Amino acid sequence: MSPRRRSVPYWLLAPGLLWLVVFFVVPMYFMGELALRSGSLTSGYTFDWAWSNFPDSLSGHTEQIGRSFVYAGTATVLSLLIAYPLAYAIAFRAGRYKLLLLFAVIAPFFTTYLIRTIAWKTILSDSSPVVGVLQSLSLIPSDGRVLATSGSVIAGLTYNFLPFMILPLYANLERLDLRLIEAAKDLYSSSSQAFLRVTLPLTMPGIVAGVLLTFIPAFGDYVNAQILGGTQQAMIGNVIQSLYLNQRDYPEAAALSFLMMGLILAIVMVYIRFAGTGAFMGDEEEAGA
Amino acid sequence: MSGERLGRLALQAIAVMIATVTVALGLAACGGGTVGGGNSDEVTTAKGGPASGKLTISNWPGYIDPGKEGTVAEFEEKTGVKVDYIEDINSNDGFFGKLQPQLEQGESGGRSIFVVADYMAKQMYDLGYLQEIDHADLPTVFKNLLPSLQSPAFDPERKFSVPWQGGMTGIWVDTSKAPEIHSVNDLFDPKYKGKVTMLDELRETPALVMLAEGVDPAKASADQWIHAIDKIGNAAESGQIRRFTGNEYTEDLTAGNIVAAIGWSGDASLIENPNAEWRMPTEGCTRWSENMVIPVGAPNTAAALAWMDFVYRPEVAVDITEYVEYISPVQGVKQLLEKRGSDLAKSPIVFPSEEFTRNCTGQNTPPELERVNEAWQDVLTG
Repeated sequence: MSPRRRSVPYWLLAPGLLWLVVFFVVPMYFMGELALRSGSLTSGYTFDWAWSNFPDSLSGHTEQIGRSFVYAGTATVLSLLIAYPLAYAIAFRAGRYKLLLLFAVIAPFFTTYLIRTIAWKTILSDSSPVVGVLQSLSLIPSDGRVLATSGSVIAGLTYNFLPFMILPLYANLERLDLRLIEAAKDLYSSSSQAFLRVTLPLTMPGIVAGVLLTFIPAFGDYVNAQILGGTQQAMIGNVIQSLYLNQRDYPEAAALSFLMMGLILAIVMVYIRFAGTGAFMGDEEEAGA
Repeated sequence: MSGERLGRLALQAIAVMIATVTVALGLAACGGGTVGGGNSDEVTTAKGGPASGKLTISNWPGYIDPGKEGTVAEFEEKTGVKVDYIEDINSNDGFFGKLQPQLEQGESGGRSIFVVADYMAKQMYDLGYLQEIDHADLPTVFKNLLPSLQSPAFDPERKFSVPWQGGMTGIWVDTSKAPEIHSVNDLFDPKYKGKVTMLDELRETPALVMLAEGVDPAKASADQWIHAIDKIGNAAESGQIRRFTGNEYTEDLTAGNIVAAIGWSGDASLIENPNAEWRMPTEGCTRWSENMVIPVGAPNTAAALAWMDFVYRPEVAVDITEYVEYISPVQGVKQLLEKRGSDLAKSPIVFPSEEFTRNCTGQNTPPELERVNEAWQDVLTG
């Protein structure tokens, strides 16, 4: 390989890296620097290696961290349960409606995230038909509500991040070689065996990508909790927002953001290790093994 | 290229990034400016002159008629100034938090006027975020401003603030569902569990709860504030309080999600529910006024001053009062309303008598603000 050819991958990476440096590394640096300052808004925050901001920012907020984990986790599992059959149906059973269905998956993106979430407030308001039906089916108490509960926040997260689960799953299922399933059946496997031992392992890369794309933004989300939640549904994103905008404790807010990033990174690393690095890197052979 | 190769490349890139950040952080330890601490540039006075060009005003929702027949359109027509009127203030603290980094740099994000509460105007002024105002540029304002508002404690000479509207914080009740609510204490009645909202403003909700308990917020100690905040926190945890809101309580009242809310006296224009009624709590209310201020870095201050002077013309002020139903700072509005035969001239909410507001208190800032505010924010983010 000539030196010129060897440098090609670096050049291909350059635009992305440049973007990352300008819009991620540089802001990150300022955040990190901010997290180590101390003082107050009126006297000014000065840089003095204030590591205590990190433990301080966690105190009293562990409940919201746990809640974010539960909400984002539940929303991710629900998304997977809804998205997998849907992506499967679009990939193999939709026939000429395939494009239309894919369009339907993406269509909500034509409206802003915020507007769609606010719309759910109207749909789920206490006197709405939806809540009436749930009440008469005894799914919620007769004087119960949907809005301002954990359920509505999880539903909002699931709804908002569902397409991020469907699309990678679809892309993965789409290129699944159906002859492999035929081969499995030829070798006397039942449909469920073929699914569990052929289809599912081969679509692991899609599942891993979908789970990451859903869980990570859902964990940091604060819009759904703010709009659809009540007084006991605040997630860690809401805490960071309150620290930044209402208490103006910039250093603690920055420190907490960093800790959350570290936590997410750790969760993702463990998850990828568990699900197989190959699956993450799109190496199907390793994922199937 | 194999996955392994790509992986190694990514690892190299991450290593370079980590190294960069570490080195930069080390450098910051040596140099490093300050964040916050106020804008140290000298206080400027807003420049007057003939109004033209473009003007951006930030205000709260429902605080003016922004329609084609409304006050903004009238101003544009009379002066030729193009107004960008944005309703992006939902809470004093939230708005300040959003703008603070820009104000610190001497920028106002293109805005020439904000409308904020007394304590917030003072806080901004003390940090050097506001321009001063020359009374000579505002002849109409100082001719028509109510004498009682000419010399408030936070700005005795009206150097940096011009009142926009005033109001009271009390209880909005859906009379068809909870006609018997008259006191803030009633909001803690388990009968209304999950059907009550409260404002997320520190100087409103805990203050009203203290009043209901017979504590004067103006004289309360930090512990008394925290005691009230704990009471609210327990009610939130038990599910008694549905949400903490800014202006959004008006949506919940409209949708019928709640039977009562702590809310602002003049919000009738935002609530589409014929049974909604603002009530003075039996134990009293909090009274406040909000002010137009000119931030540092405001473009086109001449137009901003022209706007302030314009809304103090009684015939303009009366239109605003008719639309927003808050307390006008302009003299002569009541007479004009009577001439128009409007019921508002008799409304105790728009023209509260001394008798009506005898138990009310101003907007008080608690002692040990940082500790009390932290306790309050912890309740808000349950």
